[in-house]
Amino acid sequence: MVNNAEEILPKYWYNIIPDLPKPLPPPRDPLGAEFSRIDLLRTILPKEVLRQQLTIERYIKIPDEVRERYLAIGRPTPLLRAKRLEEYLGTPAKIYFKFEGATPTGSHKINTALPQAYFAMEEGVEHVVTETGAGQWGTATALAATMYGMKSTIFMVKISYEQKPMRKSIMQLYGGEVYPSPTDLTEFGKKIRNERPDHPGSLGIAMSEAIEYALNNHLKYLVGSVLDVVILHQSVIGQETMAQLDELGEEPDVLIGCVGGGSNFGGFAFPFIGNGRGKKYVAVASAEIPKFSTGEYKYDFPDSAGLLPLVKMITMGNNYVPPPIYAGGLRYHGAAPSLSLLMKEGIVGWREYNENQIFEAAQIFMRTQGIVPAPESSHAIRAVIEEALEAKKTGRKETIVFNLSGHGLLDLPNYDSMMRRIVKNEQR
Amino acid sequence: MSRDKLLVVYMTLGYPDNGRYLEFMRESVKNGADILEIGIPPKYAKYDGPVIRKSYEKVSGKFDLWSFLPETRKVIGNTKAIALTYLEDWVSELDSFLTKLKVAGLDGVLFPDLLIDFVDDYQMYSSKVREKSLNNVIFTAPSVPDRMIMEVSKQSDLFLYYGVRPTTGIPLPITVSSLVTRVRNLVDNKLVVGFGLSDENDLRKALKAGADGAAVGTAFIQAIEKGGVKDAVDLVIKLRSILDEF
Repeated sequence: MVNNAEEILPKYWYNIIPDLPKPLPPPRDPLGAEFSRIDLLRTILPKEVLRQQLTIERYIKIPDEVRERYLAIGRPTPLLRAKRLEEYLGTPAKIYFKFEGATPTGSHKINTALPQAYFAMEEGVEHVVTETGAGQWGTATALAATMYGMKSTIFMVKISYEQKPMRKSIMQLYGGEVYPSPTDLTEFGKKIRNERPDHPGSLGIAMSEAIEYALNNHLKYLVGSVLDVVILHQSVIGQETMAQLDELGEEPDVLIGCVGGGSNFGGFAFPFIGNGRGKKYVAVASAEIPKFSTGEYKYDFPDSAGLLPLVKMITMGNNYVPPPIYAGGLRYHGAAPSLSLLMKEGIVGWREYNENQIFEAAQIFMRTQGIVPAPESSHAIRAVIEEALEAKKTGRKETIVFNLSGHGLLDLPNYDSMMRRIVKNEQR
Repeated sequence: MSRDKLLVVYMTLGYPDNGRYLEFMRESVKNGADILEIGIPPKYAKYDGPVIRKSYEKVSGKFDLWSFLPETRKVIGNTKAIALTYLEDWVSELDSFLTKLKVAGLDGVLFPDLLIDFVDDYQMYSSKVREKSLNNVIFTAPSVPDRMIMEVSKQSDLFLYYGVRPTTGIPLPITVSSLVTRVRNLVDNKLVVGFGLSDENDLRKALKAGADGAAVGTAFIQAIEKGGVKDAVDLVIKLRSILDEF
């Protein structure tokens, strides 16, 4: 695989917008807005990042400097066959997974952190700021920033900050400043803390804090998920997977990924959808944050404070307070607008699984394939197992491909507490 | 005079006041506007930028729509004039709205929310506009898929309106030429590019890339604010001269 890495690694990012079945509802300012949120994006985003967010070309060239970094961090990531899992399930289906956990930061997030940091560095930025839920995005930002000689400040959702001390340590080792959100560093954080001192935080709140902090300190903000530009950068996952499947002579039938904001799913599945490859696409969310089954498709703010422009998406509402669950990356209240549109149109299907269901799936995967998946990615594994068992029932020889968006080696405390809860429940 | 490139001049109805609005419209036609877009203040200008939104606020309630629209027709002679307003506001009384537009002397209508908020039924609404012998100018944007741009291009009367930015008047970093080059191949009609195209360089790039014209609005409002109708008319003259370079 290493020998033809440069061939497998795409030269262009793929954007699904021109290939969507319907127009993507544009971002807009809220009724009676005192200031334009769209205008605000100019202040907080690196110029090239904003251009890529808005310029809806089908293919955008990946700068050579970014391609070099992609290669340096181990892209293309491996596409592996889960042969042992197939045998365990006794399914006629073939199961492949794209292993994004093979990157140094342990998840797919570095795919967009690198170009965003590069574009910021190119315009002379010295300090970037962002938020993080489970910690993967913050880790990727801290690494990308330091690789380009910049400082980083990261607002980490408080519950994750407490549950995942090692994530915090990695960010700090990379040189990032990490704060548990809600903080006292921003007006919005103070407001939330006054209302509810024990607030566990949410990605929407952390995002609002990061944006406010960036505005007040004239810093640039890096975006972790949801926006089109992030999915655009993540398209390296799906494009690599396509090339790797081609090398193997395989044609995918089912493509599966988990969804927090939608960037790993979109990056993985959109190149297939846009190219008409694959028959079934499944997005998987947490049953504890049931946005697919109970969320509405409407205009909503991506962040809790309402600083970003309204976008049309499947959402639980930007004021929704997600429960502190085992998979921090899936606690986001909405799903990316392009993914929401594809789900609304029935092109992408969905599933939701609870803690018990994903714990079981994670254990099966660990014991058959040896990889500890991130709890977020275990949602995709659960869907894969169900799909493979369904194929067993019907005798379908389909090819299932899923995105293992990150490893879970830094989520062991989460798995420990899951084990304790599940054992306790079983004893009752 | 027949010109190659279309100058589409937007102004909010009655802005900054009835007298100066009519003066600007008359002078625009004299100085090179091919088509006039008349902004009828909506309840929620969701796809407009802050400058146009403020202009709506300034004129709201200061005129009677149906008696004032014919005044525009009187000052612009035979020049084509289309209303720009949100379908959302008129959808419940669309039939009578379109009839009144026709009676008021308008040639057509452009609903910026047609393909976004009413996309499932846009053909039905387009037919209703045409049944009233009005032109139906369709608004598209980069977020409209290629297949759909090809489809609606044929159905848009006078020209296809392509807004290069998600909202009017905010100078976002868009590479106009690559957008226009891409969409040019999809459009089987006159392609007029708008939404924040007052920058001379951007305008030239758009025309060079194959646009058949430009629609400008925010810049005229800013010009009126700064130096009155004269400044805005000077801008019409300047834009006309740029278009005539091509």
